[in-house]
Amino acid sequence: MFSARAALLEKKYTEDHEWVELSSDGKTATIGISKYAADALGDVVYVEIPEVGTQLSAGDSLGAIESVKSASDILTPFEGTVLEANDALADKPGTINKDPEGEGWVARLEIEGEPEGKLMTAEEYQAFTEEAAEH
Amino acid sequence: MAPSRGLSILQHTIMAPLQSSGIMKVARRAFSSFSEKLSNPANSVQSYVSHSSDPYLNLAIEDHILRTSPAGSAVLFLYTNRPCVVIGRNQNPWREVNLGLLKAAAQGNSKPRGNSKPPAIGHVQLVRRRSGGGAVFHDMGNVNWSITCPRDDFTRDKHAEMVVRALRALGVDRARVNERHDIVLDQGYEKRASDPNDTHRTPYTVDDGTEPRPLKVSGSAYKLTRGRALHHATTLLASPNLHIIPQYLHSPAKPYLESKGVQSVSSPVGNIGLDTSSFQKRLQDEFAAMYAPGKSLSVEVLGEEHLNIPEIRKGYDELRTNEWILTQTPQFTLKLGPSQSAQQSMPSRMEVNVHHGIIKAFEYESKICPSAVTEKIRTLLVKQKLQDIQDWRSFFQSNLSGDHPGLSELIDYLEEYLPIPEAPTA
Repeated sequence: MFSARAALLEKKYTEDHEWVELSSDGKTATIGISKYAADALGDVVYVEIPEVGTQLSAGDSLGAIESVKSASDILTPFEGTVLEANDALADKPGTINKDPEGEGWVARLEIEGEPEGKLMTAEEYQAFTEEAAEH
Repeated sequence: MAPSRGLSILQHTIMAPLQSSGIMKVARRAFSSFSEKLSNPANSVQSYVSHSSDPYLNLAIEDHILRTSPAGSAVLFLYTNRPCVVIGRNQNPWREVNLGLLKAAAQGNSKPRGNSKPPAIGHVQLVRRRSGGGAVFHDMGNVNWSITCPRDDFTRDKHAEMVVRALRALGVDRARVNERHDIVLDQGYEKRASDPNDTHRTPYTVDDGTEPRPLKVSGSAYKLTRGRALHHATTLLASPNLHIIPQYLHSPAKPYLESKGVQSVSSPVGNIGLDTSSFQKRLQDEFAAMYAPGKSLSVEVLGEEHLNIPEIRKGYDELRTNEWILTQTPQFTLKLGPSQSAQQSMPSRMEVNVHHGIIKAFEYESKICPSAVTEKIRTLLVKQKLQDIQDWRSFFQSNLSGDHPGLSELIDYLEEYLPIPEAPTA
């Protein structure tokens, strides 16, 4: 049985390689980086997580990651306010490598409005990453 | 041109002006057309050199290139900075840099706190870059190269390998890429057979962990964005300051700091012994050979006039704030006290926790400081933003009236282990 509400629970992916999981009421979103992105980054040594209460616009940096002398940003596709951040990443940044789409979640946001950019299903995202690899 | 030499023979080369010379076509255009040229998809391979030695400007131009250059393009940008210490995006300046030394030199003070006397090279600025990695010292004997390319065909080694090819073409046959993606000069005494096309091995490579250790001459760092990758690195050609670099990169606070974020890995360094212009020219040719074989590639000169481009101005202003330089520091705790190492006996105990540049927790226990005063100090410091303090002594003078026993000792602790550098904009 697929209702409109159930569809919201499906994990979606951005072109920036973040994943988002919306709550069933569509008011909050949990955000992290995809397994594809985590594998490409190599060993993560530091994750900067946002402060609870921070207000963000769509496309803003939600946090920062460092791996093998490389800095990259985690972007939010939604405008919103940070409700919760994954404190465990401060002590165990490697969680991003081990379980990027589970325990390696970065933050939960109370969201407003529509996402910026395209949100893809897992199948669409896989095709997107395969296409990127061919170039 | 000099062959490669290690630390034993320091070469003090007179710097040629940072102009591209000779055969190269130097295209000088008005700054307004720079952004248009940079973002034009037809320009899939571009080459620039800066004639400014302002580290904040060069990093702002570099960031503009990363954000603006077309998706499939490769862009080379070369620059040399005046003396400065550059820390990585996720580093703690109190841990990685001798800020007291920087501050003393900035204020022209010959008697800084502690026993660090600033070497006579003048004002050395503190810079936080946008890429990852550790702290490095820059001066006019160091050439920075930066390459922005598509993320899909980026590897951490490919451009270091390109630079090794350029160095070898200039006679530096000891240069190779190491396992940290940096460039080192092998110091082996014996010459052994080695594939000249192997950029990870030279005739002088010795087994890992055996003496003599290679000398690092170039350190890499990266910034990754959607679809684009920036690889930039230092190249020590002829720094006259190698002997004082350790003073700048050793912080007295280091043993007392528990810090999240990225810690520097220190390596013995050496000069390559080349002059700036021949290295730049060779590198530009090597880049052209890699990305535009058989074509002539013009090199455009950039500089201060490009601050008129609003995006570069914005990036420049941001890099020069203490909001960026200090407040971006990952969470840390400074712990001083009697239980610390025997080298410095500290009569009182102090613990400061800082996150997002704000003091989150503060504790001070001193035999001579009454608890009522300690409480006052705690109330004053908790929630205080570090970047707003500037000078600890005057901060306490203007916020705590009267004379308090034990306060002077606390101020000494803070000035020595948690000095607040002036923002470049101040």
